[in-house]
Amino acid sequence: MHPTDDQAILQDRKIAYVVTDRNLTVIEVSGAASILQNWSESWLGHPLLELVPELMGSEQALAGILADQLPRLQIPLVNRDPQTDGRTTYLTLVDLPRRDATGQITGLIHLIQDVTEIGCLEQRLMQQRNELRLLQDELNRQNLQLAAANTELRRLDELKSAFVSIAAHELRTPLTSIVGYLEMLLDGDAGALNQKQTEYLGTVEASAARLLNIAHDLLDMTRIETGHLELVLETVDLLALANEVIAELSPQLDARTQPLDLHAPASLPCVLCDPLRVAQIMGNLINNASKYSPPGSPISLKLAVSDEPEFIQVSVADQGVGIPDLERAKIFEPFFRASTSALMNANGTGLGLSIARALVELHGGRIWVDSAPDTGTIFQFTLPLVHCPPPPAER
Amino acid sequence: MISLSKKVCLLGDFAVGKTSLVRRFVYNLFEDKYFSTIGVKVSRKVVAVPRGDEIIELTLMLWDLAGSEEFDDVRISYMRGATGAVAVCDLTRPETLASLHDYAQTLRRVSPQAQLILAANKVDLADQAGASAEQVRELAAQLAAPYYLTSAKNGAQVETLFRHLGRLLVA
Repeated sequence: MHPTDDQAILQDRKIAYVVTDRNLTVIEVSGAASILQNWSESWLGHPLLELVPELMGSEQALAGILADQLPRLQIPLVNRDPQTDGRTTYLTLVDLPRRDATGQITGLIHLIQDVTEIGCLEQRLMQQRNELRLLQDELNRQNLQLAAANTELRRLDELKSAFVSIAAHELRTPLTSIVGYLEMLLDGDAGALNQKQTEYLGTVEASAARLLNIAHDLLDMTRIETGHLELVLETVDLLALANEVIAELSPQLDARTQPLDLHAPASLPCVLCDPLRVAQIMGNLINNASKYSPPGSPISLKLAVSDEPEFIQVSVADQGVGIPDLERAKIFEPFFRASTSALMNANGTGLGLSIARALVELHGGRIWVDSAPDTGTIFQFTLPLVHCPPPPAER
Repeated sequence: MISLSKKVCLLGDFAVGKTSLVRRFVYNLFEDKYFSTIGVKVSRKVVAVPRGDEIIELTLMLWDLAGSEEFDDVRISYMRGATGAVAVCDLTRPETLASLHDYAQTLRRVSPQAQLILAANKVDLADQAGASAEQVRELAAQLAAPYYLTSAKNGAQVETLFRHLGRLLVA
């Protein structure tokens, strides 16, 4: 190769080199002009260590190369001040032994290669990796703060549940006594009442009963929230249970002249459930159907084997005001009351349906609602069935 | 006047402000945008340092090393011949304090005579501080190193820290 060929290769590969004697004094400089411009001439006769600060601390390694004990020294990714385009220049420095024709080491060859393109790519990669790590650290810190806030919220929630539970308990005991004595008064146990007295006491009894229901709902809600609500499961004839619930609600339905039709197949399997709690669910749904339907509007209660294997499906349908589309998703949330409740002047705490959902799910079933405004609502829930015939006496 | 040249390494996790401390000390500049360093960047600054009755013209050769662990192996080779080091942590990231033990250990293995000084950086972000001055003091005691609460952003204690290190280097 001609010497100009060597220069062409050095230019293309962006490599420059510096040759030193054994004292590390620069005796020759050549190679890529882009690296050597402005200062190559001034290097001649100067100590290499003064000219290349990155070699500071590598004196022992350089001596090792001169002594033929070390083949080479490499310093990768040396940063130099930004070029005119603002990019940092990245260089890789390599020191090799320089040998004469007999193989004797006469000095060093100090190679300088411009690796800015690779360096910039590597820098961008590192930048993104580090920024991601910083974000990750920040996320971890925020997660820790959220976890601490969550723990505090849980503690406060437990305090709230404990307070509500105690308050509801303390309310329930005197209310039960009040309702009991009111019933005795209305039954005439303390003497005959005139019409006015009967009317007033009737209002007091209805209000006390509502208060008692609220106390029961609050107690149920706190038991559900704290995981202390337990079911007493048994094999139950659901049709018989439905008839009991209807009988209990018939005064209220009769008062609003709302007929309730019960539909059930002749041979309905039993269900495995807590009868008191399932009666509570059915009662709540029928009560809602009544409250949110106009007087005289029919209500239907249907019991059937569900399309879901091993489940019985219970449906309570009305032809009332319905639930607005936007509110349907929230209807099972605690304390949520549909906007139609004001329209229908319906009393309640907004706890009934959330309790119903919790009770159904505790049984392993599910509950859902379909509704269209001014057309009616149908609440449906499932309960696990059991394969055994109900006792004949109960049918 | 006696002239000396000393190699000083900047050590610490990524994004703690090593490059910013050097930039503040050498050029009295600060760039808010984070630009991660790969490899090594050597800067120099000459300071006059008293030693007894004389003044030493000390050239600090500041080796700003990549903080990411990808450069762990290379960093060790860069530490060779260092006579001093600034261990930098970020007061807003407590984990960067803990890792200074490793950096100090490596430095003392590679350059046993090197003087170490601790820079607890980003003190200007006191409202986001995850580490307290007390924690920094304890760490400095464990590393047997002087410490400063610095801010490359507003320059707080930066000059003082490097001059203190300079005095240690010529002592």
